[in-house]
Amino acid sequence: MRVDPNYVTNLVSSLDQSQATEQQLTSELSSGVSITSLSQNPVASGENVLLLNQIQQDDSFTQSSSLVTSQLQVADSTLGSVVTQLTQAISLATSANNGTMNVSDVKSIGNQLSGILDEVQSLANTNYQGQYIFAGGQTSTTPFTTSSGATTYDGDEDTNYLETPNGQKIQLNVPGDQIFLSSGTNSVFGALNSLIADYSTGTVDASQAISDTESLGTALSFVSQQRVTIDNSISQLGSASDAMTNEQTQLIAAQTNLMQADVAQVSTQLSLSETQQTALEDVIAQLNSTSNDLFSKLPQ
Amino acid sequence: MGTISSAFSLMSQGLDADQSALSVVANNVANANTPGYTEETPDWQQNQPININGVSYGDGVTETGATSVRDSVLNERLDQQQQLASASSARLTALNTVQVLFTPDSGSSSSTAGDIGSDLTGFFSSLSSLEANPTDNSLRQNVLSTASTLAGDISNAASSLNSQRLSLDQEAAGVSSQVNSLTSAIAQLNQQIMSTSPDSDAGTLEDQRQQDMSQLSQLVGINKITTENSGLEITTTSGQLLVSNDTSVQMTNGTVNGVTNFFLGGVNITSQLAFGGGELGGYLTARDEDIPSALSSLDQLAYSISTQVNAQNNAGTDLDGVSGTKDAPLNIFNEPTAVSGSAANMSVVMTDPNHIAAAGLNDGTGDSSNAIAMAGLSEQQILNGQTPTDYYSNFVSTLGATVSSVQTENTAQNASVTQLQTQNDALSSVNLDDEASSMTTLERSYQAASQVLTMLNTIMAAALNLGDQTTVS
Repeated sequence: MRVDPNYVTNLVSSLDQSQATEQQLTSELSSGVSITSLSQNPVASGENVLLLNQIQQDDSFTQSSSLVTSQLQVADSTLGSVVTQLTQAISLATSANNGTMNVSDVKSIGNQLSGILDEVQSLANTNYQGQYIFAGGQTSTTPFTTSSGATTYDGDEDTNYLETPNGQKIQLNVPGDQIFLSSGTNSVFGALNSLIADYSTGTVDASQAISDTESLGTALSFVSQQRVTIDNSISQLGSASDAMTNEQTQLIAAQTNLMQADVAQVSTQLSLSETQQTALEDVIAQLNSTSNDLFSKLPQ
Repeated sequence: MGTISSAFSLMSQGLDADQSALSVVANNVANANTPGYTEETPDWQQNQPININGVSYGDGVTETGATSVRDSVLNERLDQQQQLASASSARLTALNTVQVLFTPDSGSSSSTAGDIGSDLTGFFSSLSSLEANPTDNSLRQNVLSTASTLAGDISNAASSLNSQRLSLDQEAAGVSSQVNSLTSAIAQLNQQIMSTSPDSDAGTLEDQRQQDMSQLSQLVGINKITTENSGLEITTTSGQLLVSNDTSVQMTNGTVNGVTNFFLGGVNITSQLAFGGGELGGYLTARDEDIPSALSSLDQLAYSISTQVNAQNNAGTDLDGVSGTKDAPLNIFNEPTAVSGSAANMSVVMTDPNHIAAAGLNDGTGDSSNAIAMAGLSEQQILNGQTPTDYYSNFVSTLGATVSSVQTENTAQNASVTQLQTQNDALSSVNLDDEASSMTTLERSYQAASQVLTMLNTIMAAALNLGDQTTVS
């Protein structure tokens, strides 16, 4: 049977192939990435897009979460200060209500309560990075102003949320009027303004003043309740952020597993490929040597 | 009755025949590396014996020429397989350049430039970051810059695809002139073959014709029909006539809808050629199928994102308290008018980050409900029932699978071409060892004939001298 006299050419193309394989393996080793083009593993390439998306979302949520946590902490400590001020106001009012004070003492308490009102109002007008935190969505408008014994709210009822990559919505603010002006006379500013009015003349209408003090007490406990909402958000953010960080770690591991080259495996393949290439080269050299040609054996 | 002089004549014929056969061998050795050359074997013919008085005497040998060792069925199979292999090879080259545009992002930090998947995520993440502080200028700026990156990468990919399509178009257009010169050459060879050797193998001419045929097979898918008198009729795989015996039909190019179309005898055969095989088939498949399909996916992605994000941005209130209206829309992306071309034209038209409508309609500027809604688009099935990321992920998987299947196809076809080529070479190409062996045989036979001639000479001298050794030596 005749054979293809050009088999050396075919061997050379095998040599080309083994060189291409070596090149591919070497680039996998040097870059550490096993999938350098879509066609190498279409399914993994698609999966990679989804994993990277999820990783990035988790990452971005963790960053946003630390940003809003500091804002919520400002709101929380502000409400803490409000509670302190209101507690002081209640004790002042209680001492004025026991009927043992003279006119000037009562007036002085009225003045001190005015001071507390100003203080509470300025706390309610706290801003964080230039944004009023108790103004609902109207964060660029000063939410509370007091004139002629009445405090008005210029913010709105808007509540903002941060959405986690899983779709959980975490409340980021409590509108100011809900905290400070929620139920007319039982509100922080309502009760404070009534008490200031009660003590303005120096003579105290005991029953009215006691009832207004009780209103302030109610308002105080309401503020504390609202503070719980904020605290809840902080702890929700904390756990959501932890969960996202955990998820991110797992996803990164999965993504690495998917895309990174297995060094041991690639090295083995490379060494196999090198052996094959050396063998091929030897065979070609052997076949190409002139002594294998019948012409060379003919008598000269 | 045989005589010494007739023996002389037989031997000189033998010497002639050997020389002639040696020249066939020499020609084989000389053409050992000529492309398309088919090995030739000397044809020997025993001369008609002569009857003298009822006794038959051999009359020597004549070398009547050479016959090419050829299997036309094998050649045809090789051509057919070559068409498929060069089609998939041209298509694979084109697809490889396409898939480079969508190289998978390996990093976990997903900051690699040019990766549309990461850009999509980056853009929607910047919107969800805005939820944290909707009035923050740097967060707003970040939305616009990630939008620019996304739009830039999509439009770059689209324009690269368009220019790849254009260069494929040019390469395809160049093929038709090569086809024409080959078909004219074949028509001419047909004419020569039909007139010189209508009944037998035409040797060198046939080699040339076969060589032209296999070149033609690499360029375009063809079918071959042998006609009477060793002529050939060649059609494209879809049946349009290219060569009929001694005439060839010229393929012409023309531009239809901005791309080169191919005509044979006034008939547009572009779409048939695309599936017909050969380099041209591969180019056309990539130009008319693969690249347009990738482009249309990108267009769909760009169109949906642009229109949906714009619509959502117009449904909110920006930092200045303004909401978009029909006459004065607050568009982030250039609003596309049609799906086709959306990718290439995708760009960010918003320059002032304050115009991002993070707040809901009629809400205060510190509200973030619309930012949540915009970020939420990434989880909504706004693209053929898929989220943008799912859509892109599917797109890369599909593209990768196409490239990979063409790769597999091409590898298999090349293997089969190699196998057929090996079979054909085993039969038809010049094997130097064989030649060396035939040469030795012929040399020996020539030497033997010479020797016989010398002996005859001595015998003849003896006859002439009639026993006296001195007269003639």
